[in-house]
Amino acid sequence: MGEIVIGFLLILLSALIYFNSGDFPQLNETHLDPGSYPKLIAALLFLLSLMLIMKQIVTLVKTKEFGFKNGFMNFLQKQWNEYRLVIFMLVVLGLYILSLDILGFIVSTIIFIIAAGILIGPIKKKNVITISIISFIMTFGVYFFFENVLYVRFPNGIFF
Amino acid sequence: MTDLFVLGVSEIFQIDILIVILLGVIAGILAGLIPGFTVTMAIVLTLPLTFGMEPIMGVAAMIGVLVGGMSGGLITAALLGIPGTPSAVATTFDAYPMSRKGQPGKALSLGIWASFLSSIVSLVILIAIAPQIANLALEFGPWEMFSLIIAALTIIASVTGESILKGLIAGLFGLLIATVGADPIAGITRFTFDIGVLRAGIPFLVVLIGMFAISRLMNSVERTELNKDVQQKQEDKIKGMQFVLKPKETFLSVIRKPVNLIRSSAIGAIIGAIPGAGGSIANIIAYDQAKKWSKESEKFGKGHDEGVVASEAGNNSTVGGDLIPTIALGIPGSAVTAVLLSALMVHGINPGPLLITNEPNLVGGMFLAFLVASFFMLITQFLGIRLFVRVTEVPTQYLVPLIMVLCVTGTFVLNNRITDIYLLFVIGIVGYLFTKYKFALAPIIIGVILGPIAEVNLRRAYMADPDWTLFLSRPISLVFLILAVLSIGFTIWQSRRMKKREV
Repeated sequence: MGEIVIGFLLILLSALIYFNSGDFPQLNETHLDPGSYPKLIAALLFLLSLMLIMKQIVTLVKTKEFGFKNGFMNFLQKQWNEYRLVIFMLVVLGLYILSLDILGFIVSTIIFIIAAGILIGPIKKKNVITISIISFIMTFGVYFFFENVLYVRFPNGIFF
Repeated sequence: MTDLFVLGVSEIFQIDILIVILLGVIAGILAGLIPGFTVTMAIVLTLPLTFGMEPIMGVAAMIGVLVGGMSGGLITAALLGIPGTPSAVATTFDAYPMSRKGQPGKALSLGIWASFLSSIVSLVILIAIAPQIANLALEFGPWEMFSLIIAALTIIASVTGESILKGLIAGLFGLLIATVGADPIAGITRFTFDIGVLRAGIPFLVVLIGMFAISRLMNSVERTELNKDVQQKQEDKIKGMQFVLKPKETFLSVIRKPVNLIRSSAIGAIIGAIPGAGGSIANIIAYDQAKKWSKESEKFGKGHDEGVVASEAGNNSTVGGDLIPTIALGIPGSAVTAVLLSALMVHGINPGPLLITNEPNLVGGMFLAFLVASFFMLITQFLGIRLFVRVTEVPTQYLVPLIMVLCVTGTFVLNNRITDIYLLFVIGIVGYLFTKYKFALAPIIIGVILGPIAEVNLRRAYMADPDWTLFLSRPISLVFLILAVLSIGFTIWQSRRMKKREV
């Protein structure tokens, strides 16, 4: 199933690239213009994605695994159990990235490490304390290393 | 060749570079050791640290990580029967039974020696072959370069991943990603769709970190993965680990069977040189061949020394093999060497057939760094193995957030752009979905790094002479194209045959 979805997305992508490749300014270089190479690649990707979709549909029809064996809700429940943490982690990571500019590197990194650590591990006192200590050491270590050795300026945010 | 070496000596034998290599080796061993943390991830995360260094120092650090990482998987493979990296799978076949029989020290020592000696063998192969290939490649015109890239990509697509169709799709996807941003000849901005984030293109390293680190981390917090992890750690605690290393005896026993060592190293080096194929394939093939050729093949799988030696020699020698196309042609054979090349590019050094001529001290330095790293690997493994074993006990909840922070910082440090981190997030999700549905990531990465080179050469070829048939009438170019077709044909034939067997 997933392959078919990915195939469709890739077809969309290749169509997008293909139809946006036409109107680049032509230079006096008479032959290949900036759009022709992407067009070639997009066309190939389109063909192969189509092949993938066909192949997957054929196997799907052969194995006849259309329905959900134990009902749709059960399927969803299982998926949710398996991928719950992945989704939560993505949300936390996304929030962390967005907050970098607002809260600054130090504050948001400390919060992120603690939040992610508690999310994955058990919520026990010992665990929370360890992860807090680690997050402080890590954040300041990274910050000072990059600021002083590589002269990178991290976003400071509103607090500093 | 000797002058390359002499230049290398003067570059590498400086105290700071030696320290950096040592640190790299240790980091690599740790990365190879922790299940779920791959060598590729380690080398990707080393890269931002090397921006402030001299090019030679940065590359030396990475080679250290690479050599260390290849031998790191040995420890868990031998003691727990769990390969720390995919390239140590065959090591579990014989090293684990050996340590169950009460000889964990022997298994480890054998593995360490095999890793070290095979690295040396593959270094010799590398030094002997790379300059010749580079000389040959100097004759290449844009037609040959384009066909070479086509061949490299199709070979990568056919050896990695589940099916060749998915591999090719992944490779093309990588090529498409690389077209975003300024076009390499005229500098016209393409496919930004008026999104500011995309105007500078999608940097190669962001793709790399997103695909290999973020998506891997996401994978490791899946419920079943987490449960597996907990189980493993409990098993670790049950076994009190007591072992005595026997460096001298095992050295002799490896040396006494030189054919096995050299055969396995040569297999590793050749497989390493094929784009896309690396340690994970080499160790199994080397093991298999050793079993076929051995006089005592019935002992394999029950804790036989030759099995341990073959597998570890097979995976460590891929490093030297992998460096052959990287140095001689500027075509990386794996994600790891792709990072190595991009480290050079960050410093303004253009990889390609001219690298040996233009930067002989750098290439010599790379050779020597490889040698030094192998020595360091030998020493640190023998001295520090007891400490390394402890590292497998670090729980996931500490590891995952820390590595994520390193990914984000590394991405930011690259260009000092917050927008790169947004890209990282998106690419991480894309990479995760791709791995979930068994698309190989290596073709994407190689596609992204080779994409601009392919385009430049295609357009140059066309500018020089708008005759398409030149790709087919120039002999070397034709050979590469035939190779590409053959690799696709062979893979399809092989998978058909496998299917028939199953039925």
